[in-house]
Amino acid sequence: MDKHIESMIYTAVRYIFAIGVMFFSLFPLYWMFSMSLKPPIEWTSPDIHWWPWYPTVSNYLMLFFDKYTLIEWGVVKPWEVTVPETAVKAITNSLILSISGTVLSVFIGTLAAYAMSRYRAGGDYMFLTFRMLPPIAILMPIVMWLSTLGLLDTHIGVVLLYGLFPVPFVIWLMRSFFDDLPREIDEAAIMDGCTPAATFVKVILPLVRGGLAVTALFIFILNWSDLIVALLVTYRRAVTIPVQIGLYYSDIGHLYGIMSALGIFAIIPTLIFGLAIQKYLVRGLTFGAIKG
Amino acid sequence: MPGFRDWFRVPEKFKTLLILPVQIVMNFTAIIPFALVWYIGMTNWSPQFVGGDWWRADFIGPYNFVLAVRDELFLNAIARTLLISAICVPTEFLLGFTLAYVLSGNFVGKRFFTLVAVVPMMVVPAAGGWIFYLMFIETGPVNGLLSIISGHKVMIPFMNDPFWAMIAIMLADIWQWTPFIFLIMTAALLGLPPEPINAAYVLGATKWYTFRRVVLPMLKRPIMIAVILRAIESLKIFDYPYMMTRGGPGYATQTITMNLYESGFKYLKYGLTNAQCLIIFIACIIVAWYAVKPLRAAQRGG
Repeated sequence: MDKHIESMIYTAVRYIFAIGVMFFSLFPLYWMFSMSLKPPIEWTSPDIHWWPWYPTVSNYLMLFFDKYTLIEWGVVKPWEVTVPETAVKAITNSLILSISGTVLSVFIGTLAAYAMSRYRAGGDYMFLTFRMLPPIAILMPIVMWLSTLGLLDTHIGVVLLYGLFPVPFVIWLMRSFFDDLPREIDEAAIMDGCTPAATFVKVILPLVRGGLAVTALFIFILNWSDLIVALLVTYRRAVTIPVQIGLYYSDIGHLYGIMSALGIFAIIPTLIFGLAIQKYLVRGLTFGAIKG
Repeated sequence: MPGFRDWFRVPEKFKTLLILPVQIVMNFTAIIPFALVWYIGMTNWSPQFVGGDWWRADFIGPYNFVLAVRDELFLNAIARTLLISAICVPTEFLLGFTLAYVLSGNFVGKRFFTLVAVVPMMVVPAAGGWIFYLMFIETGPVNGLLSIISGHKVMIPFMNDPFWAMIAIMLADIWQWTPFIFLIMTAALLGLPPEPINAAYVLGATKWYTFRRVVLPMLKRPIMIAVILRAIESLKIFDYPYMMTRGGPGYATQTITMNLYESGFKYLKYGLTNAQCLIIFIACIIVAWYAVKPLRAAQRGG
């Protein structure tokens, strides 16, 4: 076959593939977005509306303001569907808990990662194995343990778990960043009269700033995406966004538009941060085994 | 106080100091719960008992473990989860790898398409489950598409059918995690040395032969890592069944995690559930131990 035709066929196949993938990965997201703009009458209309015919932002407003405010503003009529409870608590909880959990786990994990990289401290593979266990098998006793301590459904309880569960990821990710730095830097600092602690804090940590930022974003994504931990240890006070989506689902039937609006809120930070650290995602997800 | 300062000066002591927080953490999340899961697994404790603190529960020996392996729902859930893994992981691998290979060359819009292909992975799994619920409801776009193709009004209640509900959950998993394989394989393909591949072309090998005999052997390790990590993750599947079907219709889509969640937190059979958790726990430790080996080799080697 002619070389020119062959390469044209190859290009055509490539574009067909690429466009097909684009459709499959984006259409579901588009569908949730369009649902979040639909008024209740369109949520399950028997004739499928591929785009919102009467677009409205009231679904988003209902996440933040209660029924009486919205009626006063004339956004919803008194007989229209509203949520019994706004999602403000869930959104603030998600932010507070994910951020504090991330800070805690990055702090704990970075120290250990440095010890494992430079002082040959062991136990690294134990953490890797630990991370591979299904969370439910560990959570069942942890829930009892937390309830004994009186930490069930409190922010502290969730922060502890969000600070502990991703620690293996932090250790392995930070370890790969520490290993990228030549040992001569440490040795030079020690020669110049730095104590080990000063070497770590003043010399090494500034050099892995970028790695720390990547790790923090990665752990934030993990914590923000979590459903099962929050589902098991929170009931009302400390619920997070993924749990809240499920709450709307069970108690009051399906509030399609409102749940979709909350879903959009859930995915915005992970989408932004995930694409920002895309280069390092492979490294994070494979525990540093493959450097992307 | 010189003794205090030594912790920051003497390398051995500083090492202990660095490791200390993570050891406290391990005790809190692993050792104590592990002891607790053994203990509760041997009792008939349930939070329904009024005033029954768990440390005062009745000790009934290994009876729960006998019940656990005779619990049909539990065994079915295990089989179902393995089935989901057995179907999803190979599908994701084939799709992700093909995609990575097809998009690996240079062409206009490569950066854009690569970015778009990764997007599903960034979606919060709970939201992903909700998205696929929306896709498969009677008035959802899947039925809409079928209506357009067939010319009739199609309104199949996918989520009420045991078979189609499973398919929907698997599709959600495939949609979300194919990018995972894609990312790893893209990175692996980028890291390949170009010389052997070019040499093969120069020597007159076809594209397919080069791929099979030159590229594939060099990708053995990344492929193993990608498949193993994905397989382990897929055994934990929970968010999709929880958001889409709550394990229903009946128990038709109950996975391991879903089953343990329900028997523990809905039916409050703590003793039994802890025994089952322990069984899963030990099984997973054995699996994870072998799974860590190729990772270990890769981390040591590169």
